[in-house]
This record gives sequence, C-alpha cells and structure tokens, in this order.
Amino acid sequence: MPAWQIPLTSIAARRQQIAQETSQKLQAGIFERLDEVYLNGHPTERLPGNLNLSFAYVEGESLLMGMKDIAVSSGSACTSATLEPSYVIRALGTEEELAHSSIRFGLGRFNTEEEVDFVAQRVTDEVQRLRDMSPLYEMAKEGIDLKSVAWKRD
Amino acid sequence: MAYSTKVLDHYNNPRNVGSFPKDEADVGTGVVGAPECGDVMKLQLRINPEGVIEDARFKTFGCGSAIASSSYVTELVKGKRIDEAMAIKNSSIVQELNLPPVKIHCSVLAEDAIKAAIKDWKSKHEQETAAPQQAGSSGAAGSDGKAVRG
Repeated sequence: MPAWQIPLTSIAARRQQIAQETSQKLQAGIFERLDEVYLNGHPTERLPGNLNLSFAYVEGESLLMGMKDIAVSSGSACTSATLEPSYVIRALGTEEELAHSSIRFGLGRFNTEEEVDFVAQRVTDEVQRLRDMSPLYEMAKEGIDLKSVAWKRD
Repeated sequence: MAYSTKVLDHYNNPRNVGSFPKDEADVGTGVVGAPECGDVMKLQLRINPEGVIEDARFKTFGCGSAIASSSYVTELVKGKRIDEAMAIKNSSIVQELNLPPVKIHCSVLAEDAIKAAIKDWKSKHEQETAAPQQAGSSGAAGSDGKAVRG
C-alpha cells in the first residue's frame, strides 16, 4: 500500500470504531430500559453504526410517528418506504410479526452521548405508550400465547 | 407520505384507549386483523338493553392510520343504535381522516371491528333470550354464534 494511504485506512478504522461504540451505547441504553426488544442481525458482524431493533407488540410505523426530532426509519434501508415487512429482516431470521416492529437507527461519529441518551429515553417512552395501546401486549400480559390465536382476517 | 392533522391528533391524543371486562353481559368484543399483517384492532362496545351503544374502548397494534381509524370509530359509535353502527362505512372514516389510498385498508379493518363487536354482543344476548324457549339445548348455537330456533 502506498504510504499516503496508510493514515486514511487508520482514519476509516477509527471512524468505524466510534460508530460501533455509539450504536452499542444506544443499544445498551434501550435494553436496560425496555423488555422484549430484539436485535435484528448479528451482534458484531454488522455495519458499524447500524442498529436495527424490533420492539415486540408495537408496530414500527406507529413508533416512527413518535420519534419527533429523531431521524430513523422502519424496516431496513431498502424497504422503509413500503408497507411490507423487510425481506432482509425476514432473511436474518426475524419472524414476520417482529419484522413489522423493526426500527433502524444509523449512528455515526457526529452523534453525541447526550443524543444517545435522549434517543434511548424517547424510544422507551414511546414504546411504553404504544404498548399500553396494544391488544397484543395486553394478551401477552394475560399469558395468552399469540401464536396459538386464530386471527380473523379476510 | 404526510399524515393528516386529524390522524396526528388521534395518534397523539387517542380517544377511549382501554378495555372493558370481556365477560360482562353488555360488552361486545371484536378483534380483527393479524400480527403478520401488521394490523390488529380490538374494539369493545358497551351496549344497553335497548340496543344503544353507550361506551366504547379500543386497543390497536398498527400504524398511525390504523390507530386513528379505531380511535375515531369509538367516537363515532357512541350514542348510535346497533343498526346505525352496522351501517357505518369505511368511506366515512377515510373522509374524516383524509386517509391516502395506501391506508384505506385501515378504515376497512375499523368497519370490520364494529361489526365483530356487535356480532359478539348479539351472540351473548341471543343465547340469553333463547334459553327459556329451548331449555336443555344450549349446544344448539350455530357456528356464527346465532342460537338455532327450531
């Protein structure tokens, strides 16, 4: 490698490291506040800075509406504009219902610790509000196995 | 996609969120949709013996338009007779909330939820009225919950 490229690779590596640490901080902040949150994809073999989480019993688009002042998307990058759950998320092994609940956070070197804390709290508040409105959460709390329910659909 | 002000209002200030005890005689419960579709609505109606809807509660798993549709429906049905509520069409929900074409299915689900809740209430009440006439034939209810009179 030419000598001039060496500092560039180390800068890139450092940026990736920062992005990864920031997304892991956000993940930790959310996991310690909420239960039944699931990471989509591999915990370490993933794009640094990418955090994709499913919040059980809460639909992704409704959660998006509550993310005021925060830039996030639902599903995966390629499907955020459609209604279908992301085929990428499904391919990663996430069940269809949890795929409807997925939110994608992109963290980078410009995100501050205050922003991470703000987002973790905002997400928590909104998920709890929506869970209180969710018939699925109510059924789960009553001990009903959602997979055994015969849903009525046309 | 921009949400209408009314959808945002229902999302931020949902009306009548909650539950009635399912077993109470005057409560009809309708659950429609499926988690795999990303939309599940539970609508409960408290209906008096005269067949007038006195109160309603909803819980919804779904997008902002689904939440707004079911929230709006709880306001729409209060004070209506059963036959008036059964006549509610999803188009009136679409019009009130300015739902775009891609979200019309949310209003359809809300219309279905009303019908399901009323059907549940009716099944509870037809069994009660059928009992004195058909003692000992409690197993005569048809698959749709309507008591068979013979």
